[in-house]
Amino acid sequence: MASEIVGGAALAPPTAIGVRRGARLRQLAPFLPAAVIIVGLFLVPLALMFAFSFWSTDENLDVIPVWTLENYQNFFTNPTYVRTLFKTMVIGTGVTIVCLAVAFAVAYFLARYVSRQWARIALLVIIVPFWTSYLLRVYSWQAILGERGALNQVLVGLGIIDEPSLLFVYNDFGTFIVLVYLYIPFAALVLYASLERFDFTQLTAAQDLGASPIRAFRHVLLPQIRPGLITACIFVFIPILGEFLTPSMVGGAQGLLIANLLANFFKNALIPEGAAVGFLIAAFVTVLLIVFRRYLRIEDVVVRG
Amino acid sequence: MPVSRHGGTVRWSLRLVFGALIVFLYLPILFMVVFSFDEGATPGLPITGFTLHWYEAMLNNRVLLRAVGNSIIVAVIVSILATIIGTMAAFVLVRARIRFPNATRIAFTLPIMVPGVLIGVSLLIYFARVLDFSLSLGTVIAGHLVVTVPFVVLIVASRLQSFDRFLEWAAADLGASPRQAIRHIVLPLIAPAILAGALISVTLSIDEFVITWFTVGSQPTLPTFIYTRVKFGVTPEVNAVATVMLVLTLGTLGLAGVAMGRARRLTGRMRRRRQAG
Repeated sequence: MASEIVGGAALAPPTAIGVRRGARLRQLAPFLPAAVIIVGLFLVPLALMFAFSFWSTDENLDVIPVWTLENYQNFFTNPTYVRTLFKTMVIGTGVTIVCLAVAFAVAYFLARYVSRQWARIALLVIIVPFWTSYLLRVYSWQAILGERGALNQVLVGLGIIDEPSLLFVYNDFGTFIVLVYLYIPFAALVLYASLERFDFTQLTAAQDLGASPIRAFRHVLLPQIRPGLITACIFVFIPILGEFLTPSMVGGAQGLLIANLLANFFKNALIPEGAAVGFLIAAFVTVLLIVFRRYLRIEDVVVRG
Repeated sequence: MPVSRHGGTVRWSLRLVFGALIVFLYLPILFMVVFSFDEGATPGLPITGFTLHWYEAMLNNRVLLRAVGNSIIVAVIVSILATIIGTMAAFVLVRARIRFPNATRIAFTLPIMVPGVLIGVSLLIYFARVLDFSLSLGTVIAGHLVVTVPFVVLIVASRLQSFDRFLEWAAADLGASPRQAIRHIVLPLIAPAILAGALISVTLSIDEFVITWFTVGSQPTLPTFIYTRVKFGVTPEVNAVATVMLVLTLGTLGLAGVAMGRARRLTGRMRRRRQAG
């Protein structure tokens, strides 16, 4: 049925190859500008970055097309860089775990105990901050964590500490809190989307048949929401690999993450070194996306969010 | 019943987590708004008094206003281009048989998934080192298109997919050309989705910081201006700017939400009517 409608190409007599090709071209023409943007402004620049990461620089810091592995060697032999990469993974994993745990509790509450209408409203309330400016959300934490921030004032006011402390900001703690803050709405949105489809009477049924609550949870609920859990992990972890704003605003000199190295290399015009770091991040992202591609529900997030 | 023994406790602790999350999400924003009205030269607790001084300072700051102007120019151009380009692509993606449908879909979701910093630095190499363009608002617009076009494509494509093709075939039976059917039947019905795509493009573009930071030349946009300001000292008028931006973004997104809801209701109503009739 649909094939009759799909367009001139399918209806054209097979002998008139020229006509067919013309019709096909006309059909695909509206796609061209978008293809130019995705290929010309996204795929090609990324490919070039890849190539640059294997090129060297001359004494004027100009990139010359001489193939080398030096940029990667330099990265992996520098303990600071390797430590930063490792720390990014640790913080990224930690933030992902915290985000998923809290978001799961909230999504479970909304899906199971709240009427659908109110759950939708609650979800909207959770998503709204996520749609406000990313830069300002990070900045707003300075008002809380900073030396004169709310947290310090409250703690001093309560007599818990004697004078404002810098313990909460310009270190990994600040970065961690703000990253959780930034990505938790994502996780809540994705997990709610999969819990909403889950029929909670199955849990009761499992328990009626003798399963302990934990067993019912593990063997009945978890397998059914696995795609949602994985999507949530990916949507929290991947952006953290590219976070350079949060560490630079609340992380201080000690709190830098891998993407700060990238940004700093580029701001200092050390293009091949930067490109190597960029490629490492891109490689991680690609591996994650390929491994989990079957479970990803990107449209869930984009269209519903 | 084995379920109900802990049910109440579980429910209450989950409610508590939910409440804590809402506080956690809104507290920083609330403080930012409160501080924008604080009299003290370095905003912070305790609040010293109410003033509109920072809003006045904001309106008298020439550089800031120019940055706002740049952001608006970029956002308007980006959203017009992204909406047209994305809508056209969505039609082809949903309706024509393209050769690698999965690969194409992935290519359109990648720019949303890949961290912005990678898009930013790769465009920087591309523009500055390969093409030898000087960085300007034009390069910023190009960078924003990379993320906004996929958003429009995904939103419009998902609407088109649920579109009732019988309506179009009915139009064709009644003598409409394919062009007429699209213009008078399809476009009006998916218009809310297109509008939502346009509004989301505007907000994405106005708020975009990461890609902009690498592709911007000497003319700052509002986010890059705010960033340099905040990095180099306390500027209380930033709180005022932030509050205004917050209100504007939420307003635009509210509109987008209304448009999406309208689209959903429209297609729902069409389907119900067909099932009834």
